[in-house]
Amino acid sequence: MLIASYKRPVSLVVLADILAFGLLFFYREPHDFYILGAGLLIITLIAGTYLFIVKKELGDEYLFLIVSMLASVGFIMIYRLNRGLGFKQIVWFSGGIVLFFLSYFIYIRIKIWNKLMYAYAFASFGLFLVTLVFGSNIKGSTNWIVIKGFSFQPSELIKILFIFTLACYLTHSEQIFLNALTLKLKQIKIKGRIALMAIVYMFMGFLVMQRDWGTALLFFIIYITMMYVFDADMKFLLLNVIIAALGGTAGYFALYHIRVRVVTWLNPWADIAGKGYQITQSLFAIGSGGFFGTGLGMGRPDYIPEVTTDFIFSAICEEMGIFGGVAVILLYFLLAYRGIKIVLKTGDTFKKAVALGITCMFGFQTFIIIGGVIKLIPLTGITLPFISYGGSSLTTSFIQLGILEAVSREGGQDEGSISDEGR
Amino acid sequence: MYEILSSIMKYIFITIIYLFIYGIIRLIYLDISSMGAKGKHGMKKGKNLPYIKLINRREDLGFKVEETYTLDGNMELGRSNKNDIVIKDPYVSGKHVRFTVHDGRTSMQDLNSTNGSFVNGERLGRDPVYLRDGDKIHIGQMDFLYVEN
Repeated sequence: MLIASYKRPVSLVVLADILAFGLLFFYREPHDFYILGAGLLIITLIAGTYLFIVKKELGDEYLFLIVSMLASVGFIMIYRLNRGLGFKQIVWFSGGIVLFFLSYFIYIRIKIWNKLMYAYAFASFGLFLVTLVFGSNIKGSTNWIVIKGFSFQPSELIKILFIFTLACYLTHSEQIFLNALTLKLKQIKIKGRIALMAIVYMFMGFLVMQRDWGTALLFFIIYITMMYVFDADMKFLLLNVIIAALGGTAGYFALYHIRVRVVTWLNPWADIAGKGYQITQSLFAIGSGGFFGTGLGMGRPDYIPEVTTDFIFSAICEEMGIFGGVAVILLYFLLAYRGIKIVLKTGDTFKKAVALGITCMFGFQTFIIIGGVIKLIPLTGITLPFISYGGSSLTTSFIQLGILEAVSREGGQDEGSISDEGR
Repeated sequence: MYEILSSIMKYIFITIIYLFIYGIIRLIYLDISSMGAKGKHGMKKGKNLPYIKLINRREDLGFKVEETYTLDGNMELGRSNKNDIVIKDPYVSGKHVRFTVHDGRTSMQDLNSTNGSFVNGERLGRDPVYLRDGDKIHIGQMDFLYVEN
């Protein structure tokens, strides 16, 4: 029998899902029996996956637990906002779990991940070009590819390729520089770095061309973080920050888009009906929630534009209260903590870099979008990992989680040898 | 009807989420204290002292226990705070077992505990027994491995 207790967090996820899906059953008139079936599927999937991870000792078990709680909050909110999207999200979640296991086993099987730097970079640029040529403009960003009514966002997949490119460089910096091996060692290092910088800025350039500012910012922060951790050269970092600051300032003056973002961040109240509409509605929603929220289905989060994707955090704050919102943030903290723990445990530099990149991706993505919707930083539209509606976003997040899980297992295996090094 | 249900549910739901977070933080706490224990053990290891190493997964045990305990001189293990090694396992007696390290050999004596102590599956009598490298020690709900350097 399942006993819900804080000592067994998985039972709490199951209990939360049972209660929430039960409540959602009564939410719509006539009562929606499909949601009960969907709830049963979700609960079975979560409990089954968790037990499988624990029994087969696939690595860190908390990662999946935390993510399943986040995803549960996500479904509940999305279903409440839009019935059709809610069911779609449940389908994406099921697919995500399949991809989680697939990426886990594929990552473990293939041993040459750290030698394919050019392959990752060229695959990314290929995807970017395909997006630029065939992409459709949805909601102001040209970053969607639509094939027979099925649309996906290549930039989500590129996130993984970007992390792998960086990790390859940090492991074998000579990879980048094949023709000039005769040069002195120091020069190679400097040139390799500059070549990497060029590659990173190309990634960002493509994203800017797609008007995907949020992801460009995300890539830059991850690049800086990885360089800071693995190759701490303050001058080089400062150079990057200066270039980025100059680029940002130039963008501010040259591009209307960015200027609007900054202006509405500084004072959204000046133009509530127009440019500031999104952010002010988001703030109203968060404010009207109070400590415990209005209760599921009792608020009016539907006034916020893009509420199922970018602004889902405001909807959570409105209906589950500030306590619910803080709980979500705490869950992301825990996710990042587990990620960092895995990074510390792992011995291999490439795996360390990949794990750090993925952890940073989750962490910074959360910071950028939550910071945006609460008007802490200028708003840039990216998804809240595992919660926001979106097939590409959810499935890619699960692929990343699968890779992190794979790294955690290998890290756990040589735990003994690390402790012998006398940490 | 739905309004009442939803208003009640929001409190329950938030309580559950926070219980969940508490549960995870508790596990993380156990995790961090194990990292500290490893460091301590690493320092003492220079003296080549024998130690006992926990085989169970710490997360499965509902109480605080360290990954390794270094044995030195006379050491008593039990549930009461007077012991050298304090483990709050409900199946461990107040004074459960005594380890004595003398001339590079370790002996283990059961102190008339309720649930007994086992070495390689055999329950100890009243007399102390000498431990050999690789012996499996079972106390309360825990299994330890005895390691000599």
